[in-house]
Amino acid sequence: MHLRVSIRAVTLAATGMFVVSACGGGGTTSQNLAAPDKQIINMNDGTEPNSYDPTQQTYTYEAAVGRNVFQTLLVSNAQGTDVVPAGAESYSVSSDGLTYTFKLRSGAKWSDGKAVTAADWVYGYKHLLNPALAAGYVDPFFDSTIKGADAYSSVDVSSASAIDTFLNGLGLAAPDPNTFVITLQHPAAFFKWVVTLWVAPPLRQDIVEQAAGGTFASNDTTKPEAWAQKSSTIIGNGPFMISEIVSKDHVTLVPNPNYWGGAPHFQKIVLWFIEDANTAYAKYQTGDLDAITVPLANVDVVRNDPKLSKEAKVYPKLTTFWMVTNTKKAPFDNADVRMAFAKSIDRDKLNKQVQHDIQQSILSFIPKGMAGYDTSNKAQSFDPAAAKALLQKAGVTADQLNKFKLLTRNTTRNKTINQFIIDQWNTNLGLNMQLDVIDSKTVTSRLRKGDFDLYGPDGWGADYPDQQDWFDIYISSPTLPCPHGFNWGCWSSPAYDALVSKADTELDQNARNKDYKAAQDMLINQAAVAFIFQDYEYNLIKPYIGGLTITASDDQSLPGDLFWHDAYVTQH
Amino acid sequence: MAVIAGRPKRGALLPKRVTAVTDSRLGSLGVFVIRRILWMIPVVFFVIVITFILMHNAAGSPWDKAGGRQLSQVVVDNLNKKYGLDKPVFEQFLLYLWNVLHFDFGLSYQYQGKSVVTLIGEGWPYTATIGTLAFLLIVPVGIGLGVLAALRQNTRVDYATMGFATLAASFPNFVIGALMVVLFSVLTYKWTGGNFFLPAGGWGIDDHLIMPVITLSLLPIAYTARLTRASTLETIRQDYIRTAWAKGLPERLVVIRHVLKNSLIPVVTTLGPTFAFLVTGSVIVETVFSIPGIGRAFVVAVTSRDYPMILGTTVLFSIVIATANLIVDVLYVFIDPRVRLT
Repeated sequence: MHLRVSIRAVTLAATGMFVVSACGGGGTTSQNLAAPDKQIINMNDGTEPNSYDPTQQTYTYEAAVGRNVFQTLLVSNAQGTDVVPAGAESYSVSSDGLTYTFKLRSGAKWSDGKAVTAADWVYGYKHLLNPALAAGYVDPFFDSTIKGADAYSSVDVSSASAIDTFLNGLGLAAPDPNTFVITLQHPAAFFKWVVTLWVAPPLRQDIVEQAAGGTFASNDTTKPEAWAQKSSTIIGNGPFMISEIVSKDHVTLVPNPNYWGGAPHFQKIVLWFIEDANTAYAKYQTGDLDAITVPLANVDVVRNDPKLSKEAKVYPKLTTFWMVTNTKKAPFDNADVRMAFAKSIDRDKLNKQVQHDIQQSILSFIPKGMAGYDTSNKAQSFDPAAAKALLQKAGVTADQLNKFKLLTRNTTRNKTINQFIIDQWNTNLGLNMQLDVIDSKTVTSRLRKGDFDLYGPDGWGADYPDQQDWFDIYISSPTLPCPHGFNWGCWSSPAYDALVSKADTELDQNARNKDYKAAQDMLINQAAVAFIFQDYEYNLIKPYIGGLTITASDDQSLPGDLFWHDAYVTQH
Repeated sequence: MAVIAGRPKRGALLPKRVTAVTDSRLGSLGVFVIRRILWMIPVVFFVIVITFILMHNAAGSPWDKAGGRQLSQVVVDNLNKKYGLDKPVFEQFLLYLWNVLHFDFGLSYQYQGKSVVTLIGEGWPYTATIGTLAFLLIVPVGIGLGVLAALRQNTRVDYATMGFATLAASFPNFVIGALMVVLFSVLTYKWTGGNFFLPAGGWGIDDHLIMPVITLSLLPIAYTARLTRASTLETIRQDYIRTAWAKGLPERLVVIRHVLKNSLIPVVTTLGPTFAFLVTGSVIVETVFSIPGIGRAFVVAVTSRDYPMILGTTVLFSIVIATANLIVDVLYVFIDPRVRLT
């Protein structure tokens, strides 16, 4: 998921549990369920989806709609440890790891009642992979895995015939209406996770073409998106369907009457697009919203409020933040200097003083809530004396370092965090460095040029809970010259590349875990970046919302949105 | 004709000649309006040129994200091709002008497949509604307070009115908006057990409008009141007002017919731009009250470098502002007999 560094308030995790049930796990009986006309929830999605075509969605506020209206072949289980069948009933992988055969769910129907067929899946995947439509999530997930898709970047997008040749050459097949086969370029143990991405559902060719006013050439960029403009032509296969879109204001979801999994309890889900977290907080208090993310400034108010504090829920997000040094710039090419910076940040103090004691300090890469979370390597732990010694060992003087600046995005949260961090560095290393605060777009364009010394907080949010999604960001690739959006600091290591490439392709999960662990040790020990904290959500949820399955992968401010099909409103 | 004492019939004493002049003034008014409308074309052209240059020189591309996973170069290249951003800037500019001539303002980069015209059409009614309501509140309240303060100069009424105006002008509207939300939504909800409160935000042609309209109006009310007061004070010291009093006219007539008519000239001058400012939207009021208007859309377009949307809204704003000024100039003809349109 696109991690936004300007994220809103988040949380303190006291427990190790990351799957919590909002109604305490108590069983529901038909007696305490609210009447169907009361099965309505109002949530804040923050921003309107930029597109209602799931293949085009790249932000969590978009995926939240996409995932409820459309369904992918597989989805993550609540614990984030493995995939479970959804649009497919089952799947099998050939022994060479190259062919994935999905047996489609029998009886699965679109919201207009037609059966979902293998041809719909092929059409959906081709729509996603059409280079003319430039869907944000194709690269690297799909073009680096599906057979034939490696030519994605070289297709001439102005030529319909070139696009058709490319699309028809992809490893996508529908041998019969109930079977969808995907062939890969190379074995990829993580591919089962790739198909859980919300961008990869089936689509209806007849609806897309009807909305476009007839068939269109493959190089057309606007007609293929006409169907996603109004609710009547957004026909999905997910548990809910869109009944109304009021642009920039709200979108209303109602049950898909033809969903294979049966009718949900919720009769109406209204997702509001309220950008100001304080407005949402006020609307929660006046009963207009049923769940919100608490604005950072109000966290202490909520903690001290006898009523609100009982409605607060805290859970981890699969997001880690770190500070970046420009390793192309001396002396940051020296691992000792980087480690000195990593060891001179008091992370617990940062979280207590600046972040309202919500986030959790972290000294490693993989966050709590998915496979690979491992706190055993404490090489980056806070130790000012050791940090100073490392600087001395590297022969770096304060004068050399004082000219460096910490590049900072001009948002309140980034500024407050960085003011604390630069103060830590200055105090603990005896320096006098400054912040360089500028607007966000300029920061990104400077990062792209490598025009910075120190930058942060930068982070990563899981697209899916497989370690490949994380470790790949530090692989150096000839097609993706550094610095790029995954690796601004340009740290690289051939040994790391070899290790992660091996782990990505091997099929034995234990062997993969072992290799990823070794790769994480490299990142930590060489201080590729300085890990600082894991993000937590600090939400308020009305006590009458029951049956929520809250996971670390939930979309922001929408607790339990991956499993809303099973949630309900109790009498109140 | 018998002349009733104390109420000379206006116009009765005026020579015919003046009526003729008025006719010619109205005639030249038509020419004036047409000429001014034609002048808008080069104005809009230069607005486009300047916006285009500034926009393309601002750092960052529409495809940069605020953090985390950036789109890969492959996708960015395809997006540039899709929206014609791979062409030279000058060619893009000519293409844009050509499309604008055909009333095609392009597709938004942020919202897939949505045209700028659609987006503006969706957002502007909200903003225009709130802006117009605020204007309808500002004119009577602002002018009324100003006249009241001037007529009761240096009394408690004057001090209270001007004190209010100073406060309203000093508080930024995000503070006023947030305070009102806490007071009239959250706390009122608590005190009344949820039976009565104003909605903390959102849209509806009902009590949803109260807080945003008041928040939006306060500063212009303060400004209009101060201006009206100053201008009225100047007017009531004129000889013709003394004459009006001397004739024994009742206060109501002196104020409405003689004072207001003349003291409103500078006020009308500012009300034009004020109206333009109101109906082009306030990003703060729209954000605090979660109104899906055009003011917020414009700022979001700027921060996300949505070039067609930036251009579209800028062109709209420049037309609205030019039109508001034109209306003010036309109103002068009726308010101020000294004004000659050339």
